[in-house]
Amino acid sequence: MISHFFESVGRYFLFLKEVFRRPEKWRIFWRQFILESDKLILSSIIIVGVISLFIGGVLVIQTASNLENPVIDKMYVGYMVRESLILEFCSTMIALILAGKMGSNIASEIGSMRITEQIDAMDMMGVNSAGFLALPKIAAATLLSPLLMLMSLVLGLFGGWFVVEVTQIIPTPSYITGIKSFYNGFYIFYSCFKMSLFCFLISSIAAYKGYWATGGSQGVGRSSTSAIVTISILILMFDLIVTQLMLY
Amino acid sequence: MIKVEHLYKSFDGVPVLKDINVEYESGKCNMIIGASGSGKTVLLKSLIGLLEADSGEISYSSVKLSQMKYQEKKQLRQRIGILFQGSALFDFTTVLGNVMFPMEFFTDWSRAQMLERAHYCLEKVNVIGSDDKYPNELSGGMQKRVGIARAIALNPSFLFCDEPNSGLDPHTSILIDRLISDLTKEFNMTTVVNTHDMNSILEIGDKIGFISKGTLLWQGDRHSILKTDCQELKDFICSNTLARNIMEGVK
Repeated sequence: MISHFFESVGRYFLFLKEVFRRPEKWRIFWRQFILESDKLILSSIIIVGVISLFIGGVLVIQTASNLENPVIDKMYVGYMVRESLILEFCSTMIALILAGKMGSNIASEIGSMRITEQIDAMDMMGVNSAGFLALPKIAAATLLSPLLMLMSLVLGLFGGWFVVEVTQIIPTPSYITGIKSFYNGFYIFYSCFKMSLFCFLISSIAAYKGYWATGGSQGVGRSSTSAIVTISILILMFDLIVTQLMLY
Repeated sequence: MIKVEHLYKSFDGVPVLKDINVEYESGKCNMIIGASGSGKTVLLKSLIGLLEADSGEISYSSVKLSQMKYQEKKQLRQRIGILFQGSALFDFTTVLGNVMFPMEFFTDWSRAQMLERAHYCLEKVNVIGSDDKYPNELSGGMQKRVGIARAIALNPSFLFCDEPNSGLDPHTSILIDRLISDLTKEFNMTTVVNTHDMNSILEIGDKIGFISKGTLLWQGDRHSILKTDCQELKDFICSNTLARNIMEGVK
């Protein structure tokens, strides 16, 4: 089992070596990059938006119900919601959601190309199949995912504001004051960095698992499931490592 | 020309190819025949470099495959066209996109030139008016034709076909066989066809190699195959009623 683990890690890095070879034609790379940006990032806007709106609202209610002490200013509800969204929800939680959506999409797409010999056909033409298929996906996911994180933050805060407006659980001006207080720009950078890293893991591991899928349609299913499980564990592991390194 | 010398290949210690020696000539339909599991697909995959042989040599136009550097192998692959068993058309693009795919990567042609070449290739395989269709909208026979058009897009010197008739009705099979044969002669390609279809063998087999249990047992052409003394080959041929009747007629 241990040898299998190290073998997989080695194969993953060899795969990355192929992926990061210089593209044969930059024109083709950019075309694929735009297609993948649409498929992986733009198509995730709705799910990320909806989840962020609801989570923002839920966070306001939960935080307000835990800060009922009259000594504590109500503006801290807004402040804590903002910090929760920036530090953990908008990067880690959204990345875990994207692991399911983006990861299964990439692993099953590349996996079915493997079992129908489309990847063999590319290799035989002399095309770097790993680079052609995986690099635009990895680049799009890694470079553009911070935009999803920022969108999630804005919509999460908006969701919180909406709940405050509707329920008057705390005064609206307190919430607004809270989300503007004690702002630390580094946290935004930290969250964007985490999101990029997580989306790199999602796209590269899913592509790797799909690229080496074997055993017909069941094999594609297995590779997709294995990709999501591996990615989810790694996201949480790297969350801990990056947080320790960057915030403490 | 492709030359194979003393080729051995095994999987987990089980020998699959044993001392294969054969030459595939240009302008001819060279066929690898044998029953399922005989090792013919392994031989074909070894020839095109998808599998690495344990020992032995494969030479393309007198240049040994094992001595080629990465770039040389890449250049060689651009001179190779392959028709896969399941066609292996790229499902993310259209018929036209599939045929233009190798041109986009390996030529500096303008889009107009690529379109002209793609239409020429599609015309050659008689696929007209399906430019914008996706592979899943095509019949099996049409997919094979588009696969052939893609394979000849860069005017290759070598064409490999893995079971080109699998899943096709007899009429379409014959059309695909004739297409492969005609293109081979027209473009003077070295064509290697992997099949167990007796109709194909008798229709287009200019040079035939029979493999059984990983050993190349017999070599000849479609005329001599019916007069063979090789018992394994006789058994293989006689599993097909039509071929058996022809064989008895020849006798």
